[in-house]
Amino acid sequence: MTGPLTLDMVAGKMKDFGVTEQVRRNRIRITTTPDTVHDTIRTVQAMFGFDRLITISAVDNSRTLELVYHLTGPHRMVVSIAVELPRDLPAISTVSDILPPAAIYERQIHDLFGIVFPGHPGLARIVLNEDWPDNEYPLRKDWKPNPDTFYGGIKGEKI
Amino acid sequence: MTVPAAGLSQRLVNWARLKSPWITVYNSGACNACDIEIIACLMPRFDIERFGILVKGSPRHADILIVTGHVTLKQASRLRRVWEQMPEPKYVIAMGACGASGGVFHGLYHMMDSVDKVIPIDVYVAGCPPRPDEIINAVVTCLNLLKEDAAHGGKEWRKKAVPGTSMDTKTSRVIP
Amino acid sequence: MPEVVVSIGPHHPALKEPVNFKVIADGEKIIRLELDLSYNHRGVEKAAEQRDFIRVLPLMERVCGICSHSHSTAFAKGIEEIMQLEIPPRAQYIRTIIAELERMHSHLLWLGVAAHLIGFNTLFMWTWRDREAVQDTLEEMSGNRVHYNMNEIGGVRSDLTPAQVTAALARLPNLEERVNKYVDMVNYEETMLIRFRGVGKLSKEEALRYGTVGPTARASGIDYDVRKDDPYLAYADVPWTVVTDTHGDVYGRTRVRVWELQESVKIVRFCLENIPEGPIRVPAPKNAPKGEILSRYEAPRGELAHFIRTNGTDKVERVDIRTPTLANWTSVAMCLVNQNIADIPVIVAAIDPCLSCTSRITLLDTRTKKEGIMSFDDLIRRYRSRNPERVWP
Repeated sequence: MTGPLTLDMVAGKMKDFGVTEQVRRNRIRITTTPDTVHDTIRTVQAMFGFDRLITISAVDNSRTLELVYHLTGPHRMVVSIAVELPRDLPAISTVSDILPPAAIYERQIHDLFGIVFPGHPGLARIVLNEDWPDNEYPLRKDWKPNPDTFYGGIKGEKI
Repeated sequence: MTVPAAGLSQRLVNWARLKSPWITVYNSGACNACDIEIIACLMPRFDIERFGILVKGSPRHADILIVTGHVTLKQASRLRRVWEQMPEPKYVIAMGACGASGGVFHGLYHMMDSVDKVIPIDVYVAGCPPRPDEIINAVVTCLNLLKEDAAHGGKEWRKKAVPGTSMDTKTSRVIP
Repeated sequence: MPEVVVSIGPHHPALKEPVNFKVIADGEKIIRLELDLSYNHRGVEKAAEQRDFIRVLPLMERVCGICSHSHSTAFAKGIEEIMQLEIPPRAQYIRTIIAELERMHSHLLWLGVAAHLIGFNTLFMWTWRDREAVQDTLEEMSGNRVHYNMNEIGGVRSDLTPAQVTAALARLPNLEERVNKYVDMVNYEETMLIRFRGVGKLSKEEALRYGTVGPTARASGIDYDVRKDDPYLAYADVPWTVVTDTHGDVYGRTRVRVWELQESVKIVRFCLENIPEGPIRVPAPKNAPKGEILSRYEAPRGELAHFIRTNGTDKVERVDIRTPTLANWTSVAMCLVNQNIADIPVIVAAIDPCLSCTSRITLLDTRTKKEGIMSFDDLIRRYRSRNPERVWP
C-alpha cells in the first residue's frame, strides 16, 4: 500500500464483493450476500487493517432480516458490511473464528431475532430468562406477546 | 384491638429494632442509579451508619428490604425467595419510579407487572432516583410503621377487609 | 462437565445481582466462562421503537444509571445527524461539560469500589466524598444528581447561568488537588501496588484481538479513544490528550482512570471558561428522514455504539445499543482462563462493569464433585489473604 489509506481506495478495491457507497466522511458501507461475508471480512482485515469489530447489528425491516457488521482499524475509518437474510430459517456462518468478540454479539442476536450461526462455539441463552419459550423472538416486528404463554416469572401465578 | 402491655424484654427488643434497623438491598433489574444513591447514603456526606443503620448482604440479618428496579421475569422468583428468607418483623421499601409503577419500563416484554405483585410493599419512595435524604426519610417512615405495629402487637391490624369482598387491602405509606 | 454458577463480585456487599455467569472450573483453575445477562434485560430496544423522539430520551438515559448522559447523547447526536441539524456551539459545550463531569463521577466511583475490593475502605470513603462535589455541580446545572436529562433533539434543555458557572469553577481547584493526591497514591502507595500488579494482564495484541475498548484497552497501550478518533461535541476545540499506559494489568487501568480524571478536570475548566454565547437549541422536525447511522461515543467505560435506523416516521425503526462492558467481556472471559477463582472479583471489577453484581457463589469442583456455597465476602477474604510477598512479573 503506498500513501495513506483513503476511503476511495477501500471502496475501489472492495467493489468485487458488493455494492459500496460512502455514507459519511469516515464510513463506507458494503452491501453483500451472506455467503461472501466471511471472505469480505477477511479481506478488509488483511488488506486494510480493519481488525476491530465495533458491533454486529441486526435489523428487522419487515421484509427481511438484516445484519450489519461494523469494523474499524488504526486508520480510524469505519466499514459497515450489510447482508440480508430471509425471515424463515435465517442462517449465516459465524465470524467468531476471525473476530473473537463476535461470539457474544451473535449470541445476543440469536436470542432476540432467531438468526442461527452455524459454527458458533455455544449459542446458549444470554438475554432472555430460562423460562422463555423457544421460537419466540421478541425483537422481530411481527412478534406480539401471547397472553396465554408463560414467559417467565413466578410459576403458577399470572404476571 | 387492645393488646396487653409488652413485657420488659419485648420493649427492649422493640427499642433495639428502632434504634438500629439493618437493611438489605436487592436489585431486581434496575439501571443501578438507585443502588448508587443507597451507597452514597453510607458515605461521609450522608452517613447513615451514625443512625445505627447497617447495610447487610444477607436477608436473614435484615429488618428492612429495599427493592430497586422494576422486577424482570428472571428476578421475580429470586426476589420472592429473598423476601421469604427475612425473619419477621420485616418491611419492604420500594424505591423510585420503578418500584411504584415501573417508571419508564412499564409494560415491557421482560418485566413483571409491578413489584407489589411479587412481594407486599410497605413504603414507596418517589424519585428517579430518590435522593439519599429521601431514602433516609423512607427508612424513618418505616421505623414509625415498626413502632405502630409493635404497639399493636404485629402487622395484622393494618389489613383492612373491604366490605362486600373477600380481599384484604394493606395500607402503605407513600412519600411524595 | 459439571458447571459452577458464579455470581460475580459486587461493588459493595449490599449490591446484589444482576450479572451472573457460569464458571466451568477444575479445582481452583477456571476453564471456561459463559455470561448470563437476563437478570437485567429490560427490553429497552423494543420499547424505543414505540416511543417518539421526545419520549425515548428519558428511556435511553435509564439504560444505565452511571453513564446515563452517554446513552442519551449518543442517541440524540445520531438522530440529529440523520436529520442534518446543526447544533449551536453553546449547546455542544454544555453537553461536553456534563459529559466530562459524568466521566469524573464515574471514575471516582470506580476508584472507591476498587479500593473497597482490596480492603482499602479509607480510599472508598474519600473518593465518594469527593464525588459529592461533582454531584453538587451536576445538580445545580441540571436539577438532578443522576439522570440529568439535559439533552433534547436539537440541543440542550436548559442554559447555564453565570452563577452556576462561577460556582462550578470554584469547586474545581479543591477537586483537582484531591485528584492529584490520588495520582500520587496510585504511584507510590504500597497497598494498591501489590494487590493490583500482575492481575488480569492483557498484552497489546490480546487487547486488540478481543476488541477491548476504553480504559481497559488504553492501559495496554492502544490509543483508541472515540473523542479523538471521531470527534463529536466540543472535543475538537478543547486541548486535551489521550491517556495511555503500558502495564496492561489492573494497576495500569487504575493509572489510566486516575490520569483521565486529571484530563477531565482540565476539559471542564476550559469549557466553563470559554463557553460561547448563543442559543442552546434549534427547532427539530417531528419526523426523521429515512437513514441509518452508527453513533459512537466515549462513555466512561469505553466506546458506546448506537446503531440507529429511521424510516421517515417520528419513531426509530431500530436502535441497537452495544455497551462497552459487553465489548470488554470477551477479554475478561479469555483473561480468566487458567486463573484462580479468587482472582475473579478484581479482574471483573477492573473492566469497570456497568452492572451491579451479586454476592453468592455456588462452587462445584469437577475433580472432587463436591458442592459448596461461598459468599462473596469469603471470596474477597480469599483474595486478600493470598501471599502479599508474591512478586508479579
